[in-house]
Amino acid sequence: MKTKEQILEMEICECGAKNVAQAIEIFGDTALPYKKAKKLVTECNKSCCRVALMKVYDMNLFGHFDYDEIAYLIEQRLERLKHLSEGME
Amino acid sequence: MYNYEWDRLRTWLGQYGAIDENITKPEEITRIDLSGNSLKTLPSNFALLSHLSILDIRRNSFEVLPEVLGSLALRFLNASGNKLSDVSILSKCQQIRVLDLSANALKEIQFSFLPELRSINLSSNFLKDIGAFLPSLANAVRVNLNNNLIENIPTSIGSLTALEEIEMIDNRLKTIDEAFFKLKVTNVNLSSNRLVSLHLHTLESLEVLTLDENPFKSVTFSKNFAPLLKEFSCDSCSLEEFLLPPSASLEVLCYSSNSIVEVPKEISCYTQLQELDIDANKITDLPDTLANIATLQTLYAKGNPLNPHAKKVIAILDPEICDLNMKSGITIETAKEEDLKEMAELLGVLFAIESDFTIDFEKQYAGLKQLLSYEGSNLLVAKHENHVVGMLTMQRLISSAEGSFIGQLEDLVVKEEYRKMGVGSRLINKMRALAQEYGYKRIQLAADINNENALQFYTRRGLKRTHLSIYHYLIP
Repeated sequence: MKTKEQILEMEICECGAKNVAQAIEIFGDTALPYKKAKKLVTECNKSCCRVALMKVYDMNLFGHFDYDEIAYLIEQRLERLKHLSEGME
Repeated sequence: MYNYEWDRLRTWLGQYGAIDENITKPEEITRIDLSGNSLKTLPSNFALLSHLSILDIRRNSFEVLPEVLGSLALRFLNASGNKLSDVSILSKCQQIRVLDLSANALKEIQFSFLPELRSINLSSNFLKDIGAFLPSLANAVRVNLNNNLIENIPTSIGSLTALEEIEMIDNRLKTIDEAFFKLKVTNVNLSSNRLVSLHLHTLESLEVLTLDENPFKSVTFSKNFAPLLKEFSCDSCSLEEFLLPPSASLEVLCYSSNSIVEVPKEISCYTQLQELDIDANKITDLPDTLANIATLQTLYAKGNPLNPHAKKVIAILDPEICDLNMKSGITIETAKEEDLKEMAELLGVLFAIESDFTIDFEKQYAGLKQLLSYEGSNLLVAKHENHVVGMLTMQRLISSAEGSFIGQLEDLVVKEEYRKMGVGSRLINKMRALAQEYGYKRIQLAADINNENALQFYTRRGLKRTHLSIYHYLIP
């Protein structure tokens, strides 16, 4: 089980090289809709980190952060990428 | 009569905190939450739960859905976040209506037709060929197939006659069978795929179509395509041409991050258009006809080399929200002593709207000064170029209803020229985050019932209107 501080340091987007804390700060500093706001984090048009990032955006919108949920979604994506690189497909 | 198997099951459920101590008979159990354990299977005496209709086993370690599920009358099953590769037992769950199998290791679906199934989530699996199992979902209304390895939408999609919403984001779609266009779907999202060419037609019930992040070389429409279409999005699709879907009901049109050079004058045919997103393109000019769309409230046009004429068109259009008008560099900060004067002046703007209060700078300044030094309070300001342009305060109260601390929000106000830029939302979001950090059980506020804008603003941000009214008595 990770601590809140450890989760805030987890990388949520490789393209924009941002961790959870940075994503929260960026979303907190904008009122743009998700499609626009996410580009401030990812600095790209891709959607590889969509599931976790959208969750963080929604949590910011509703003012309640479930850090375990964020960590779970990031880890789940990494696990999936690992499976794919191991030839799961 | 003593039921040994029931006693064992009770003990087993008890160790996961999944049973209420008041339950005396297995028939009393209708829902069970076993999420977040390391379960690999369920005990066979689970079959005693003849009235169980809602089962949550997400985030466990199941590789195969247990046999015993086939003997239950389940209507809702959440098995997300396991390691499932075999869900064949679901063929026996003929009453199931809602099924979440997302984030598993499914490479194929083995269950047969489920007549009651209405909603299924199969996202984040490893599904490649969906042709064989789609008929099993024939009565499904919502289908989520995001984040799989699907390369084509097969002919069998036509068997989903009840389908209303389908998402297939993050797949490898290259082709779509003609049967798809005959569906009665209302919402379709095919973003982040590999679609290169698409001829859109029919889809007579379609209201929302999202095709973002596809490497299109050609997108064309038939005149009969989606007459009820309200939202069409084609962001980041390498488009060089502004597409004009034939629907006259369009409300939202998104072509952000493409290579569009020109917005055609025919855009004025969308008389109900509310939002237009053309940011990050190569547009230099805008047609005069754009200014005629009286319904257009939101325009994103940043990241284009707009000429003076285009800017004039936007000025005439004067949309409520426009990214070109948004000021950057607005920060949300904790208020300091030196901000208090500007804050007190800002309160005057608020009290001018609220008939219950009178404007008195000295009183407001004194109140804010007291608040700043009060331990259980938070004062946030929105600042631009070192000036206060918005503010919000929160005071800690003790609620006997919640049995804990709650936060009372007050004094939310944003300077006129900084409205419609999301400053109020940012202040509320930041304050809510602080309330969560302090462990407050609730935040609440009072709003003037005549301030319609404020009431709508709070409702849109998830605050619920209560049945309480505020009374006050001024102490002489």
